[in-house]
Amino acid sequence: MEHLAVVAQGVSMTLLLTLSSLLFGAIGGVPLALGRRSRIALVRFIARALIELLRGIPPLAWLFIIYFGVGTGVIELSSFAAAVIGFGLVSSAYMAEIYRGGLTAIHEGQWEASDALGLSRAATLITVIGPQVLRVSIPAAATFAIGLLKDSSVASVIGVQDTIYWASHESTVSGDAIVPFLWAAGLYVAMTIPCAWATRLLDAKLRKRVAR
Amino acid sequence: MHEDAEQDRTAISLESVVKRYGDHTVINDVSLSVREGEVIAIIGPSGAGKSTLLRCINLLEVPDSGRVTVEGNHVDAGIQISHKDLVRLRRNVGMVFQSFNLFPHMTVLRNISLPQERVLGRSRQEADARSMKLLERVGLADKAQQYPSRCSGGQQQRIAIARALALDPHVMLFDEPTSALDPEVGLEVLAVMRELAAEGMTMVVVTHEMQFAKDVSDRVVVMAEGAILEEGDPADVFTAPTMDRTRQFLRAVLER
Repeated sequence: MEHLAVVAQGVSMTLLLTLSSLLFGAIGGVPLALGRRSRIALVRFIARALIELLRGIPPLAWLFIIYFGVGTGVIELSSFAAAVIGFGLVSSAYMAEIYRGGLTAIHEGQWEASDALGLSRAATLITVIGPQVLRVSIPAAATFAIGLLKDSSVASVIGVQDTIYWASHESTVSGDAIVPFLWAAGLYVAMTIPCAWATRLLDAKLRKRVAR
Repeated sequence: MHEDAEQDRTAISLESVVKRYGDHTVINDVSLSVREGEVIAIIGPSGAGKSTLLRCINLLEVPDSGRVTVEGNHVDAGIQISHKDLVRLRRNVGMVFQSFNLFPHMTVLRNISLPQERVLGRSRQEADARSMKLLERVGLADKAQQYPSRCSGGQQQRIAIARALALDPHVMLFDEPTSALDPEVGLEVLAVMRELAAEGMTMVVVTHEMQFAKDVSDRVVVMAEGAILEEGDPADVFTAPTMDRTRQFLRAVLER
């Protein structure tokens, strides 16, 4: 039990890192998703290439590249900032693909009605298409978020003091190789289950209201 | 600038409009002129290009060649159409779709008010007041706070009409407005359209409702294979069509 108090210190950092990266990705995914649908072939190509690049390189490699590559040069980056940027970039690519799926689920008539009413492209995206895409994207985004919560443990490698960092620390200090990590495992499960629950609830609620 | 009275009374004019999808010519050199306050019914077999022609009027489909004029705003197909021209032309044109196309994530009231705020710059208060007036007119004031999914198809289509009218269009386009509805439910939509026609709205209606075409329209346009077969007074077209193809089509729809 004495291990738990130490390992649990990292929970807030795990949550903060996950939420920050997710927010980064939720915003960064928008221009990438729109770029994928651009009328200009070059923009489509660049968006696609960026997505493949961001997804294709493992998060750990991104963290090293950003923390040791970029972060030690002209700009000083904390390990937390480096981790948010790294996971945020990867999340942007995944969120872009989730949005893209959501966009294809929107009936063509929504665009046509907006055009016929004379809404500008920006107004159409912000008021008509965007909210509907966000709604249909919730289940896929939640699945991704749960994955991200677990993957965020990789950030301990560059010194972010998250749950795994403290488990590893406690393991070294106490000489117990197993129990601190079992506590960490338990804490991760305890974090993901309410998350899955909440999204299911939210999804059902929204579905009920706008069911077609 | 055309100042002569004849020009001023023309609401819509299509000149030699051509629309192709790949090798397939959907609209083949069609010209059509609609006077201010006139109600036109476009009928004909499916695949005739009726909907495409209608969608060329507000440039949801951009013709490959020809010229579209609505309320004095010209657009020449074939040259790059500026966004400004597009917006200016559409400002005068309301459209009602077969599938309603209400915004499912907004209440009925927001559906009607939002475009007014975004397009005409009305305040929320002004927009809501106008929306409520129109909802009352189509008999759905009690649905203002509901979501469209809670409304029947006929109600959704009446809301869609109110949404289009809220922008004060000079011309209304209807693309098979009752085709997705049960016959009985379609009547409530047709009733609203009749009222609109009686008030002098310029209307172009693509429809399979022959009774509506007969009773309400000033002129019937019969299309087949991307061209206008014939057009004229509904009484003449329905009783004494000049073309064989028209006769064949009318027999199919009237004598079933």
